[in-house]
Amino acid sequence: MGFVLDGLDAEAYDRQYSDGELLRRITAYFRPHVKTMVLVSIVTAVGSIFPPLAAKLISKGIDDAAKGEDVTIVLKWAAFITFLGVVGWLVNYLRQRYTAIAVGEVVLKVREDSMNAVLARDMSFYDEFASGKVVSRVLSDTNDFSSVVTLSIELLSQVMLVIAVTASLFFVNVTLGWITLAISPLVIVAALAFRRIARSATQQAQRASSLVNSAVSETVSGIGVAKSFRREALIYKEFAETNAMQYRIKVRQSIIFGSIWPVLGSITGLALVVLVYFGGRISIENPANLSVGDWFLFIQSVGLFFFPLTSIASFWSQFQLGLAAGERVFALMDAEARVTQSDSLPVTEMPGEVVFKNVRFAYNPESVVLNDFNLHIKVGEKIAIVGHTGAGKSSIVKLLLRFYEFQGGSIFIDGRDIRTLDLAAYRTHTGLVPQVPFLFSGNVMENIRYGRPEADDTEVLKAAQALGGGEWLADLPDGLMSDVGERGSRLSLGQRQLVALARVLLRNPSIFFLDEATASIDPFTEAQIQEGLDVVMQGRTSIVIAHRLSTVRSADRILVLKNGDVIEQGSHESLLAGGGHYAELYNTYFRHQTFDYRPWEG
Amino acid sequence: MLREFRTGNEYPYNRSTSVRWVVSHVMRYPLLPIGFVILAIVAISGFTYTSIQIQQAFDIIKDRKPIEQLVGVSIAIFVVRSAFALIDMINTVIREFLASRMERDAREELYISLLSKSQTFHNRQRVGDLMAAATGDVSQLNMMISPGISLIIEATTQLITPVIAIASISIQLLPIPLLFVASLIWGLIRYNRQLGPVAGMMRGQYGVVSATLSEAIQGIEVVKATAREKFEADKFRAVIARYRDLFVQEGEIKARYIPFLFYGLMTGLGFGHAMWLQSTGVITTGQVVAFMTLISLFQFPTFISLFMFSLVQFGLSGAQRILKIINTETEMDENPVGESHVVSGQLEFKNVSFGYGDANILTDISFSAKPGETIAIVGQTGSGKTTLTRLVNRTYDSTEGVVSIDGIDVRLWNLDSLRSQISMIEQDIFLFSKTIAENIAFGARNDVPRERIIWAAQQAQAHDFISGFPEGYDTVVGERGVTLSGGQRQRIAIARAFLTNPRILILDDSTSAIDSATEDQIQRAMREVLKGRTTLLITHRLAQIRWADRIVVIRRGRIEAQGSHEELMQQSMSYRRIFARDEHNQPST
Repeated sequence: MGFVLDGLDAEAYDRQYSDGELLRRITAYFRPHVKTMVLVSIVTAVGSIFPPLAAKLISKGIDDAAKGEDVTIVLKWAAFITFLGVVGWLVNYLRQRYTAIAVGEVVLKVREDSMNAVLARDMSFYDEFASGKVVSRVLSDTNDFSSVVTLSIELLSQVMLVIAVTASLFFVNVTLGWITLAISPLVIVAALAFRRIARSATQQAQRASSLVNSAVSETVSGIGVAKSFRREALIYKEFAETNAMQYRIKVRQSIIFGSIWPVLGSITGLALVVLVYFGGRISIENPANLSVGDWFLFIQSVGLFFFPLTSIASFWSQFQLGLAAGERVFALMDAEARVTQSDSLPVTEMPGEVVFKNVRFAYNPESVVLNDFNLHIKVGEKIAIVGHTGAGKSSIVKLLLRFYEFQGGSIFIDGRDIRTLDLAAYRTHTGLVPQVPFLFSGNVMENIRYGRPEADDTEVLKAAQALGGGEWLADLPDGLMSDVGERGSRLSLGQRQLVALARVLLRNPSIFFLDEATASIDPFTEAQIQEGLDVVMQGRTSIVIAHRLSTVRSADRILVLKNGDVIEQGSHESLLAGGGHYAELYNTYFRHQTFDYRPWEG
Repeated sequence: MLREFRTGNEYPYNRSTSVRWVVSHVMRYPLLPIGFVILAIVAISGFTYTSIQIQQAFDIIKDRKPIEQLVGVSIAIFVVRSAFALIDMINTVIREFLASRMERDAREELYISLLSKSQTFHNRQRVGDLMAAATGDVSQLNMMISPGISLIIEATTQLITPVIAIASISIQLLPIPLLFVASLIWGLIRYNRQLGPVAGMMRGQYGVVSATLSEAIQGIEVVKATAREKFEADKFRAVIARYRDLFVQEGEIKARYIPFLFYGLMTGLGFGHAMWLQSTGVITTGQVVAFMTLISLFQFPTFISLFMFSLVQFGLSGAQRILKIINTETEMDENPVGESHVVSGQLEFKNVSFGYGDANILTDISFSAKPGETIAIVGQTGSGKTTLTRLVNRTYDSTEGVVSIDGIDVRLWNLDSLRSQISMIEQDIFLFSKTIAENIAFGARNDVPRERIIWAAQQAQAHDFISGFPEGYDTVVGERGVTLSGGQRQRIAIARAFLTNPRILILDDSTSAIDSATEDQIQRAMREVLKGRTTLLITHRLAQIRWADRIVVIRRGRIEAQGSHEELMQQSMSYRRIFARDEHNQPST
């Protein structure tokens, strides 16, 4: 069903579901609300009889009046129509209310399920798919999916109405019924043709508007630059051109969209004229075939009949959009997990010895990162890993955290196979500071505590003060209570790193992982971080992907990685003196960090 | 209002309130709105008149008159309906022109006002907010005109014309339709009052849901590493459950939409009343038919009112946001009569303080630079280094004290002359989606020959990587996957400075280059560009700091120490601390 939007927003894990399977999945969500749905359907069916019934009663009353019947009979009809009005409103109320309740529950459940599915995915999934797109699947696709339901019910009610009206028309006069039906294809053809035109106009407009939006975005973002060079007139000219283009596209698109109503209006106008004339002729020639009241019934039915018909045509495309959204949500839920544990043995004590034995790891079959990789890290050892991009530095950390699955060999933690451990318990003994530390909105205290929610305030404070003598807290506006802003935006990168270090320190892990920042940090904060690192790494197995000269210098052992192999190892001095690959790396990444760096001379 | 930029022909809009502003925009093209209203009245009157024609047809049929008369009425209905469709089409065109012009003009007005504001304004304003105003809010204005206000006009007309037509049949028919119109208005007000707050809460809660979700997903590495998946799932469940409650509450309010009930009641009661009047001989059966057709016209306003008001509300709040931006006072102007001559480059800060509101960002800053000197500004991120440099080209004006160039207060300089002699190479370098050559020549006033551009690029150590692109200097930045690294952008900005040849240079070099080869080129380019220019250098690089003529250490907006490297190593504790490691770990030479 998703073919409508093929290639528009597809991800690697997307798959096509057969209509039957899609339907099964959707109905499964509605099964708990089957009573509500039955009620809604009954109410909808009942409600669709009222408008044609009221129309019939009016025509009956007019016939009676024309015949000069007693007014009291007619007034009874009128009372009954009033009653129908009240019941009709009530029925509509029930329909909408219970639809909202059922849809609300279903969306809630679908969102919960997709969130759980998302959280269960391993890191390979997140590295592959942009977070914004995942968010939009969990939020807006589930929303569009729910519109399928609302629309189905709406569609059902409109279809029932059309059927009820048609039935009543045929009941009154077969010839006129056929005439009415004969006009209806015009409406459908017009609506469908319009949909085609509108769709291509919309696609054009969307393409144009994304162009325009990026142009507007550029002219707005560029204001600062333009001002500092005093080139406002130039940038204004560019803006004015873009704006004029946007205007032309918008006018054209809106006129196309707006013209559907006059077009449909003229078709119903035509239907009215045809019914006035042919109905009138039948009635004049033989009143027994069609009373004057029934003629009026047909006139009233023009609105009742053609309006739902046009909405049915327009519902269809939205319906398809909703189904495609459902398909995307299910694909997200069904994406297969790659990291699998063979057992979940408890992890209580963990000294922190790490062994890689003949490990083979590839992100995908074409690019093998580690092949027959062996490594032994002793308890409490400080390891710095260096190497070019793609040498496999971060893979070692990702495998040890079980973020990615490896394809061959084994990894042992304190002699136990990493695949047999209870993953959550194992991870409580590890601590990670990523390259760009992530902070959650809230204050510094809450962020440090995120690593160990049961820690009390003094423990948090102690961890924070252990880093660089706690001086960094004094530079925050409200110390531990400082609001970090969205994603930590109110703190500098260096400060965020200090928070992440405190978070790890509070967890007191056996193995510490650090992916050093490549971005530069002001020298004052950098000094605090370096002092803090000394504290965190003290007495812990530490594995650092190193980008700082001072880090490699202070490591117990430097691992020099090339194409997934440890080709050299040792201390900074010995490796540099050896003049091998490390010397080349030093010359590429670390030379400019030295104190005497003066490239402009010589 | 003080302004930094003007265009010749700006239309004077009324900016006192958002409603007046919208009206002044609409009335800029008086023919369109007036034409629209007149045509809408004509069209809907014709549409309403069909009811009377149906009555005529009814009378012909009831009295079994000759078919020819029926042909006449049918043709008349056809003519009226065709005219209606035609006018409706014309009005669609008018409406869309008006709405799109409103959008275009408002965006233009906003943009000009943005250009005319000082950099202080732009530095305080988030680009995202301006973008939202320039795209989202202005298109809300479009929607407010069409379908929003146009529908309200049409719906109102379609309430009034049937009432007039009913009155023309018989005044005695009026009570029930009038009662309906009154109750419809009451019901609508009540409905909007109930829905407004819930809809607002829903939007707010949707924001919360979305923020919670994106935070969990963007921070997934931390969530997983700390095994807090369940915590995040529970947090998400709580916020979406709250959203569900609001959704159901909104559904309940929509389901209760009372005008539907009034419409149903009116149909029955109106019919009974008309029948009663017919039986007493006040009106004919044909007139009952006309009456029933007329009241069925109320269906359109009853249904359409469900959503048209919210469009107007959204439009007005968008207008309010736009006006707020436009009406923000900006404190600097071009000062066209100020000092205007070549700067020699002597720069002085004398007891300078700066802040917004009560909080001072900089306090009592004093230092000076002789022409051609390089001053390194060091300090923690957020200590006020960048703000300090922005007082030089009057991005901000100091709140106390004086910043002077060649002994003249910067506020006395002609802004054009001042800024054209100061170049800023900032941390984030914004490049336009133009060719590299155009980006390099951006700051220059006149057409720059290609040789000059290449020369500048060579000086900036950028020529090699530019020549490496298949289209060289004609490569369009951002197109076909051409993205430039931070180091490359920096060198393009340096090339710009070679062309504009400023006397004072502000260099923010706190970005990182992770490989030494790039760093070599950047440092050589920088060394070249700051020759003979007074330079304020913000840098994190210890080697760079060391070789500056003088160093100013800023901490929390104050100068903590200043002097040469050797002086500071003796005087300042915190300065010594940053060099501690490197001195210890110097490879033995």
